[in-house]
Amino acid sequence: MSRSLSWRRLRWLIVPLVVLPLVAVLFVGFGRDPSVIPSPLIGKPMPSFSLTALDGTTLSSRDLAGKPVIVNFWASWCPPCAEEHPVLLDLAKRYGDRVTVVGILYNDDAEGAARFLSRYGDGGWADLLDPSGGTAVDYGVTGPPETFFIDAAGIVRGKQIGPVTSDVASAQLATLGLVVAAP
Amino acid sequence: MIRQAAFTLAAVALVALAAVAVVNLLRPAPPLTAAQQARALEAELRCPDCQGLSVAESRTTSAGAIRTQIVRQLDAGQTPAQVRDYFVARYGEWILLEPASPVWLLIPFLLIGAAAAGLIVWLRSARSPMAAPSPTLVDTPAAPDAAEAVRQRVRDEVEALDA
Repeated sequence: MSRSLSWRRLRWLIVPLVVLPLVAVLFVGFGRDPSVIPSPLIGKPMPSFSLTALDGTTLSSRDLAGKPVIVNFWASWCPPCAEEHPVLLDLAKRYGDRVTVVGILYNDDAEGAARFLSRYGDGGWADLLDPSGGTAVDYGVTGPPETFFIDAAGIVRGKQIGPVTSDVASAQLATLGLVVAAP
Repeated sequence: MIRQAAFTLAAVALVALAAVAVVNLLRPAPPLTAAQQARALEAELRCPDCQGLSVAESRTTSAGAIRTQIVRQLDAGQTPAQVRDYFVARYGEWILLEPASPVWLLIPFLLIGAAAAGLIVWLRSARSPMAAPSPTLVDTPAAPDAAEAVRQRVRDEVEALDA
């Protein structure tokens, strides 16, 4: 009699003690999308680079100071890059006077890039070659397209993994302090 | 006597073993060469454009870029920890194949451990009164008498049925 009573009391003590922490761990674990990797670069100065553009000129990150910058890592072999390209073209057309767009090729060469631009349209911004992949590593790029939104002071304010949509572009430009016109 | 000697021997052996282990742990490992350090780091870092492979196991461009960066930084006199921090600062903890576990993750396991310990203690305390039956059951003279009275009554009723 006394034994079954203590068992019953015991059960009510043990169950929440075991179940609650397990539920908490599973809730946190499953509530998180493991494919979303927050960039630790946000809030930090943009990693510097000095790379050769498709036209042969050299562009250094120092030359970009004073204006917000959009750094887009892309490749001609990457379908989502083609998908986001019209958004970038539109963005460059509408905000080109207030924002500098820079493309950096990820695991791609000048010929591939030229083919892509003649097919999908050249927005006129600088596309830089990163043959060693060193700049992509400096930015923590895992695969194109990845786009960094950097404010006028050179601080990284946002990162988009995957294609930039017009909604993403508007939201990110707003965080850079640009007044976004209705499309 | 033999038993005591065996115990002493075992104790001495254990202490000796512990001493050897401590000495081994305290002795500084021979310094790694730069190439060995680079290999160790490559095995620790995730290849960014692979699925679950380390940089050491991959031949992609970004794995190559990370290898180049590791060698360059080690050559520049950075320690392996500094090189690791460099990549964590860019990719986040994700770049480490075995990221450090957050401390709060210990809490549920501690609670479960506490529950298990509690279970054992409760079970033991619940069992002990059964192991040593309470003296009231044994010593009360009323108990055997009552049993005898019941038996007598059963006997009477069986006889009544037989009759």
